[in-house]
Amino acid sequence: MIQQKLSVIGQVCPFPLIEAKEAIKTLSSGDELIIDFDCTQATESIPQWVAEEGHTVTNYEQIDDATWTITVRKK
Amino acid sequence: MLQMIITGLICGALLGFVMQRGRFCLTGGFRDIYLTRNNRMFYALLIAIAIQAVGIFALVQSGVIEFKAGSFNWLAVIVGSYVFGIGIVLAGGCATGTWYRAGEGLIGSWIALFGYMVMSAIMKTGPLSGFNKSISKVSAPTNSIPDTFGISAWFLVALVAIIAAFFAIRELRKPKVALPSLKQKRKGLAHLLFEKRWHPFFTAVLVGLIAILAWPLSEATGRKAGLGITTPSANLVQYLVTGDHKFLNWGVYLVLGILLGSFIAAKASREFKFRAPDARTSVTSFAGGILMGFGASLAGGCSIGNGLVQTAMMTWQGWVALAVMILGTWTASYFVYVRPRSQKARTQTSASVQTAV
Repeated sequence: MIQQKLSVIGQVCPFPLIEAKEAIKTLSSGDELIIDFDCTQATESIPQWVAEEGHTVTNYEQIDDATWTITVRKK
Repeated sequence: MLQMIITGLICGALLGFVMQRGRFCLTGGFRDIYLTRNNRMFYALLIAIAIQAVGIFALVQSGVIEFKAGSFNWLAVIVGSYVFGIGIVLAGGCATGTWYRAGEGLIGSWIALFGYMVMSAIMKTGPLSGFNKSISKVSAPTNSIPDTFGISAWFLVALVAIIAAFFAIRELRKPKVALPSLKQKRKGLAHLLFEKRWHPFFTAVLVGLIAILAWPLSEATGRKAGLGITTPSANLVQYLVTGDHKFLNWGVYLVLGILLGSFIAAKASREFKFRAPDARTSVTSFAGGILMGFGASLAGGCSIGNGLVQTAMMTWQGWVALAVMILGTWTASYFVYVRPRSQKARTQTSASVQTAV
């Protein structure tokens, strides 16, 4: 399994989601993408995208003031 | 004066709080209809419009508040709303969105807000006020849609309510995708207010109710309008540079309240952080703010004033502005998100660093 890290700290919506969509294309099924972000609105858009695409979230938490991390396993 | 300060700040704070917690972003909503074919936020807006419309027409009918639709300055509304739509994509949020994101500590939104407020003042009492007035002279006499067709406003209110309910129910009936949620770290009320995800439709209901509340509160202080962002934002600048108290009204406290409410919501949910954009984003945000101020002043409203309030009042201004504003966001989205990415994809082979675990 490959784990890839994507930091989009400092990027405002919709760029975190656009970057995440691009990054996951390079992965194969079962690989994980760890996204660190600090755009508040992405707490809505990223989980929504993951759920609709059918990927799995293996970790999702707030790690600091206005900073979140989410780990997405590609379907 | 004290009543104006208190009710304005409270109404604004409620709106700022609800929008921050509900991530109520109209710019994102309009943009995503095109970018991701996702209409959820648009349906949420329809719900807020329908709820407000029922409340407002009931208040007008019972004589609690006054409302006159006036004339329809169609040229100014169309040109202004299109420019406004482009501006909000560049600024990364509509007028209200920019106010509440400023309260989350986003410096980029402060920059956009500065451009927006100053440009609105320039358009209202500054060197561009003559231009603004001359374009606004191109008008049709009737702004009220029910008057044009000679029907009861309630007929249209019912129509919008039915359409909103139809889409909301259809959306809610879609097979539920399990939405991943954050690890719960709080309990009870603190969890509900400051941690739990709010459904966009729930947020929309609250926004609609606050929009109703705004009318009697504002009219009690002599300002015959509901929620409004652009004129109050301009008024704040006008007051600050002239010291003239005539510019201070309920709306000014409303917009300051949005900032306050969003700050409280963000701070209590550990979502407040000063976040500085890079140089490129700063310039884009500033340009977006200028276009927003120019467009909203010309159109006589932003996504709230026209998109939420004038639509609920069933005016041509509201619905035409909403449609054109959405076209503006799509135009800007194409140039900001779609075109650069497809060009990049053509010229570059993907280079990504992967680390094996």
